[in-house]
Amino acid sequence: MTGKKKGKLTKVLDYLKHDDPFSKGVAFCPGCSLELLIRFIPQVLGNDIVITGTPSCSAPVLLGQNNQSWHSLSYFGTLMTGAAANATGLARYYRKAGIDNTVICFNGDGTAADIGFGNLAGAAERNEPFIYICYDNEGYMNTGIQKSATTPFGASTTTTPFGSASKGKNLRRMNLALKMAMHKIPYTATATMSDLGDLAKKLLKAKEAKERGFAFLHVFAPCPTGWGYAPENTIEVCRRAVKTNYFPLWEAENGKIRMTKTVKKPKPVSTYTELIKKFAHLNEADLQILQDDVDYEYCMLGGLSVLEAECQLPVSTED
Amino acid sequence: MSLNKFFKHEGPWSDANDSLMCSDTGSWRTKRPVVDKDTCIFCGFCAIYCPIQVMEMVENSHFSPDLAFCKGCGICAKECPKNAISMIAEGDFQK
Repeated sequence: MTGKKKGKLTKVLDYLKHDDPFSKGVAFCPGCSLELLIRFIPQVLGNDIVITGTPSCSAPVLLGQNNQSWHSLSYFGTLMTGAAANATGLARYYRKAGIDNTVICFNGDGTAADIGFGNLAGAAERNEPFIYICYDNEGYMNTGIQKSATTPFGASTTTTPFGSASKGKNLRRMNLALKMAMHKIPYTATATMSDLGDLAKKLLKAKEAKERGFAFLHVFAPCPTGWGYAPENTIEVCRRAVKTNYFPLWEAENGKIRMTKTVKKPKPVSTYTELIKKFAHLNEADLQILQDDVDYEYCMLGGLSVLEAECQLPVSTED
Repeated sequence: MSLNKFFKHEGPWSDANDSLMCSDTGSWRTKRPVVDKDTCIFCGFCAIYCPIQVMEMVENSHFSPDLAFCKGCGICAKECPKNAISMIAEGDFQK
């Protein structure tokens, strides 16, 4: 039977134009979305990139161990407090020296939203020419699943555990990407691993935008170990996060927000939380708080995108 | 051959001019993905979503995992639109 091959190869493969610089067997957990992301970036953007990063889940692989390396990219390991400042130095050096490459500051949400947020905001304000990618696994996964600023309401972590005295995190999460868009930097976007074509487009746009200044990408990267879901559900968790508007996909050029994927009939957030053990203890009332928060964030985003279209920036961002 | 264009040395560690470090991640696997060649429609979803990127094209007809490095997470089986990939326990292959 020869006529059965009616499927067409997915277009995402067309974006993977470059070699995978990583060794095949690297020390990431099975089902890790970070591994997919870090292999995806150089395959889309090319291998002429310099990655800087901080102690995080990515560091054991990106930094190398003993006297060997897991990959053949250039990597510069920095402290969490100065991640964006170090990338600034690198990007300025390459610009001054006339070397054409892309500096990528690749950090988790702990560095981006908590510890290194000050100099991230500083680099955005100075409009430094590099790409900052935050992979958001909603906590400090490498050090033992502590809560971070992007941990959502109700999530059980080791510092906000579910028990007799605590019902998980009782605060709402920070919307980091929206904060960065408010800096009116050339490019801000959110992306996730279930829509790789969208992620590839945003990476290429960020590479193009860094000629004009700072580009920020917020990538939703679920963690099977820290969140407590089966490793095979990684992509499904990303997909449901988008379909429930828990993590809407949008981009902003110079602060002008545009939705890149609109969900016609958003599902209730419980279809997302039911997959994940860190939300397993939430009752109806808690879920309603989370749902209200998700709705509020999405409504704000829609409102801002309308307002941005009506109002003009008073000064041009071109210098 | 090295793709490391910008730093010759990053310190005494992680010199990418040497051969790359590589773990035997295939030994982590508890379940093995087995591709049904006849059901596979060659769409490539398993290949793009595989975190380790071990799904290889075979003769432009189907995909097959590199079992030396496949960690057995099962994303390929979950994401396959035709359910052409089944996860079978490693013990079954030792009999």
